[in-house]
Amino acid sequence: MDDYLIGVLSNIGVISFVALSAYLLLLTGEISFGQQAFFAIGAYAAGIATALWGWPLAAALVWGAAIGGGAALLVGIPTLRLHGLYFAVATLAFAEMVRILFELFHYQISIGGELVGPNGAEGFRNIRYIFDNNIDAFQFLLLIYSLLAVALLGFMLLERSRIGVTFRMIGEDETLAGLQGISVARHKILAAGIAGALAGVGGGLYAHLTTYVEPRIFDVMLGVHSLAYGLIGGLGTALGPLLGVLIDIGLLESIRILAGYRMIIFGGLVALLLIVRPRGLLDEQVVYWISRLWRRIFARVRRSRLNPRDRNV
Amino acid sequence: MLKVSDIVTAYGKIEALKGVSLQVESGKITCLLGPNGAGKTTLMMTIAGILQPRRGSIRLDGKELAGLSPARIVSQGVALVPENRLVFPQMSVHENLLAGAYQRRDRGGINTDIERMYARFSTLKERREQMAGTLSGGEQQMLAVARGLMSRPRVLLMDEPSLGLAPLIVAEIFDIIAELNRDGTTIFLVEQNAHMALQVAHQFFLMEQGRITFQGTPGQLAEDEVIQRAYLGTRRAAG
Amino acid sequence: MIDLVQNTIDGVMIGSSYGLLALGFTLIFGVMRKLNLSYGPSIMIGGYLGTVLYLQYGAGLLAVAGAVVVGAVITGIYVERLCFAPMKAGAGIASMVSSFAIWMQLEQVAILILPRHTYAFPALATGLPLEFWSLLVRIDHLIVLCCALGLAAAVQLMLYRTRFGLGLRAIVGNPVAAHLVGINVQMAVLLAFAGASAIGGVAGFLVLAVDQQITPMFGMWATLKGLIAMMIGGLGSVPGAVLGGLLLGVLEAHSQWYFGPHIRDLVAYLVLFAFLVLRPGGLLGGAPETTTPLKA
Repeated sequence: MDDYLIGVLSNIGVISFVALSAYLLLLTGEISFGQQAFFAIGAYAAGIATALWGWPLAAALVWGAAIGGGAALLVGIPTLRLHGLYFAVATLAFAEMVRILFELFHYQISIGGELVGPNGAEGFRNIRYIFDNNIDAFQFLLLIYSLLAVALLGFMLLERSRIGVTFRMIGEDETLAGLQGISVARHKILAAGIAGALAGVGGGLYAHLTTYVEPRIFDVMLGVHSLAYGLIGGLGTALGPLLGVLIDIGLLESIRILAGYRMIIFGGLVALLLIVRPRGLLDEQVVYWISRLWRRIFARVRRSRLNPRDRNV
Repeated sequence: MLKVSDIVTAYGKIEALKGVSLQVESGKITCLLGPNGAGKTTLMMTIAGILQPRRGSIRLDGKELAGLSPARIVSQGVALVPENRLVFPQMSVHENLLAGAYQRRDRGGINTDIERMYARFSTLKERREQMAGTLSGGEQQMLAVARGLMSRPRVLLMDEPSLGLAPLIVAEIFDIIAELNRDGTTIFLVEQNAHMALQVAHQFFLMEQGRITFQGTPGQLAEDEVIQRAYLGTRRAAG
Repeated sequence: MIDLVQNTIDGVMIGSSYGLLALGFTLIFGVMRKLNLSYGPSIMIGGYLGTVLYLQYGAGLLAVAGAVVVGAVITGIYVERLCFAPMKAGAGIASMVSSFAIWMQLEQVAILILPRHTYAFPALATGLPLEFWSLLVRIDHLIVLCCALGLAAAVQLMLYRTRFGLGLRAIVGNPVAAHLVGINVQMAVLLAFAGASAIGGVAGFLVLAVDQQITPMFGMWATLKGLIAMMIGGLGSVPGAVLGGLLLGVLEAHSQWYFGPHIRDLVAYLVLFAFLVLRPGGLLGGAPETTTPLKA
């Protein structure tokens, strides 16, 4: 696989984490413009862990997820009572504050005569863990996708579990869910924490992938994009946001010829898509049909296997 | 005057109205009874143009209303006093009445009508500057009725005017309905309170599960049976 | 002490442009209950059109202003027709994401019109600032303040003294009932959108003319400032929009003076966050209704 392709796929993999993060909150009915904050926090945390403290990558990623999740809980609690636009703007405000704080964040240690660490607006360079440990690009790609697969597995299990159904119930009608005895607050906080941790893992991976992060990257654009991925790819399944990321990054990378008009075309297409599919390509309806189709095929295969004798009737 | 023929209204795949036909006669009070979920409000919303029917026709003195926008339907002379009143909460009583006359341009006529409303509904007059959201249920209902009348409709549709109101107020509302009719307004009324409705209606229809299952005049059917079917649906014959 | 007053004055001046931006935003949001992320970018397109007129045809100030407003209105109508009108009632978030997609589109259109990062924009008023005791007030800032107050008063008058304004308030109060009393809601929303875009155009023109330059960052900047000022002042409130804008401006001016531009932005977001958590209705708005604006 050539380097360019590895690079694009790695990018897609890492961004998928933020997309899944925003998607999880969407399931509980809340719009967040701020998941990029936890992405940033995870990136910086994991980067500091390996580059400044000499931790191994695995520990650093866990650390990034933990800090990301913790920060999410910190902001999730005061914003519990907020809904809709108010919640969305609060998350935006929070994320921007985080970004600005990183622009003022200096934490540098001298390692081998060189200053290493976050340097405010100049960013955080030399997160060289994968080079220092001879992990090549392809191996890192595998790491990203293995973790992504774990996350997806988690989502699949979630959708089938009671917690997952509860999340969707809260998303549908919070008041009704509350009346049925569901502790809405606890579930929303849980969702916020998991989402923060997800974004944190993504951030940690991102920092090591690009070896360099700066606060400018973690802006409103990234936040709205993360949200858009789920809306475009579909809100019926965790594969939806991934599809959205694939379409955005993947397709756009390949239409390089139209470089100057990319966003004009893409933006227009997205707007048109949302008119006919307001909940994305893989929305709940489509997912339901696919699962029905799948079950029918499966049943037919199973029937023909169970009674081989009847086949000769 | 108002002729509904084979109206089918659906929410996605679910047909709430499965081919409803009825007639509202000019100058009379027609009542639609039926259990919860029968589709009565859906029918009202369809006639008012908020919902679009899949099939069928709604004619007002021959003019087709099905498919028109709600604003156009109001201009044709049909006004709906909706379920739950739906007053404009942050606007005063007076402004709510003005809103009811939105399509009219005759300042003088509008003011005269408002004064008439105040004369008929004295509580509204007392509270003319009060925000509609702070009125009691009964006052809001009167406001909603008065607002509906401001467009000088030929047919007044009313969806569950007694909903959530104390019995004394309900009696007052029905007095007003009877009085409006005596003054010449054609009324099409949806009601859960079959007892009160049958006191004023000239004819009634029974709707169950999206279909009309009975029509007649209040004398034709024993009140108990009507009420039973209106609240519980048709009894199935035993055996 | 002088610093305090001077900063407050400067803050009020910049705040009046925030208030204008918030005014347009609040008009749209109040009526539609949906967030338009293309608000700033639409104004920016108008700004770019005005810049082209100025740089390539030497147009005068008034012509440029006209171009900005017209550009903003046409783009605004385009956004409304594509992102908001075709959506069903509950699809608030789809509209918002759609407006985001168009934001991207408009930003690229702007760069196609004028590829470089910065362009000159005609000045609103040149000349020495006025002096009151030792306080300085720029003439162009004063013009912006007067325009902001004037326009806010005009909008408030429209809302409470005209039939159209009554219709808009009815739509805000209860959209279904608005239909039932015979208001053509679609048309009213479109007109409100156009009006808000026009106000945005005026705001954009004034800001650009004070800055005397335009960059592609203007779109996002305008949306964010308008949004913050609107939320601080209270969603759906005209005086709130102005007050929110002024307060934001004053807070920013003081923060910037003592702590620099980063802290300035930090304070703005912190104040917004604090308002949302403690008093979401903002300064003048009522408590958020139980019917959630913008459901996922």
